[in-house]
Amino acid sequence: TIKSGSEEEELGALKWKDGLQQKASEAFLRQQAAIPNLRKLVYGSVVAADDSEEEEEEELGGLFRVSRPQKSKRFRADAVDCSRFTPDSAHNWDLEEMLNSIRDCFVTGKWEEGQDAA
Amino acid sequence: MWIPTDSIRNNNNMASHGLDYDGCNFFRQRLVLSTLSGKRVRIKNIRSKDDNPGLRDFEASFIRLLDKVTNGSRIEINQTGTVLFYQPGLLYGGSVEHECNTQRSIGYYLEALLMLAPFMKTSLKATLKGVTNDHIDPTVDVLKSTALPLMKQFGIDGEGFDLKVVKRGMAPGGGGEVVFICPTRRTMRPVQLTDPGKIKRIRGVAYSVRVSPQMANRLVDTARGVLNKFIPDIYIYTDHMKGANSGKSPGFGLTLVAETMNGSFLSAEMSSTPQGQGDPMLPEDLGKNCAQMLLEEVYRGGCVDSSNQSLALLLMTLGQQDVSKVLLGPLSPHTIEFLRHIRDFFQIMFKIQVQKPSEDERKGGDKVLMTCVGVGYSNINKTLK
Repeated sequence: TIKSGSEEEELGALKWKDGLQQKASEAFLRQQAAIPNLRKLVYGSVVAADDSEEEEEEELGGLFRVSRPQKSKRFRADAVDCSRFTPDSAHNWDLEEMLNSIRDCFVTGKWEEGQDAA
Repeated sequence: MWIPTDSIRNNNNMASHGLDYDGCNFFRQRLVLSTLSGKRVRIKNIRSKDDNPGLRDFEASFIRLLDKVTNGSRIEINQTGTVLFYQPGLLYGGSVEHECNTQRSIGYYLEALLMLAPFMKTSLKATLKGVTNDHIDPTVDVLKSTALPLMKQFGIDGEGFDLKVVKRGMAPGGGGEVVFICPTRRTMRPVQLTDPGKIKRIRGVAYSVRVSPQMANRLVDTARGVLNKFIPDIYIYTDHMKGANSGKSPGFGLTLVAETMNGSFLSAEMSSTPQGQGDPMLPEDLGKNCAQMLLEEVYRGGCVDSSNQSLALLLMTLGQQDVSKVLLGPLSPHTIEFLRHIRDFFQIMFKIQVQKPSEDERKGGDKVLMTCVGVGYSNINKTLK
């Protein structure tokens, strides 16, 4: 009986481990769905960028170094200084669906309660 | 001049001699923020691995313009042009004439002047000559119809505040001329731009030089075809300049601006490919693409046009010690870097909140609400009357 009791105890103690992977994936998805922390993205990533600064250099036959300037941080540092924000190429403005997604931005669209054209 | 409240923050970037940066990207914002904050800046490794290292002619031209509007600036460039040291002087203003290098359009130079002009000693009257319209930078037409109304929201107005296109000059030849007049202000007014309101009308300019004036009409027709599905109130002016006012290169282009009920302006623009650089473009295609770019800008939304985000954020930062709020569309890469630079130079960090439109609303993508408390910058350069 002592044995079975300890078995029961073991079962109880291990219960929280059930479906751990599922719980973890649920938590992960919840976090993904949550609003991204833009403040962290804007102000936090400077440190991360500095960490990756050490350039990985592949060596060919111990003699030549592969230079890929396009991929390095330095390339971004020397990119064109321009304030234009190029449009998202995934948006196809020939589709009726896309056109409908901005209808209410115009005075001809639907108005909220308590607002009118005056 | 603004004086930092806490002497030196724990910032890796800040050495005893000022701020250090790498590379030529974000060149203008670094020099502009340096001038406004009075902090020295050193930019190293400018195209150091390039076949043609160092500063380009247009950057040298920009530095010369900066030297003209300031008094007592110290600029040192090493022999190869890969290192620049800049110690800002006082913003003087006054009457300035500058031949802008044609590698970049006047918009490149003007964007920086828009940021500096309100904080000068005397009101600025800048005559800029060069390329007025190209396909890289915001053109003078778009800045006139979006940046100026935005600055008015911050209390910069009066005394002939204007941007006038005297001569039009297309890339690559240039030969255009604009006059920018801006009054000075002692302080910036804090703003609460949280609701853009609905778009009530669309205006635009279809311009053409040294080509058939019919080109502009063809642009207007196709652009209207796309936009008429949304709103009937569309008027696109056709602007055909001739003779001495038409610059050195042929070309055409279109600027579209959507105006909302609450006085926000969203814009899109496109210019024909410069003569001798790539395939020529049909005016019909250009008109349609430009109209669709305006739809994209409406989808992004917010109270400020995507190319003027940095200007709005700067004027918020330099506002009185009060809360300013501005609703923006998604932040452009240029703006994100600008926010980091504002932190470096002014120790101001914005509160950034995402606003998702509700399910049944058809108002485009996610918006971003930017909040900050101004540093209480006051323009001591300005002469008292």
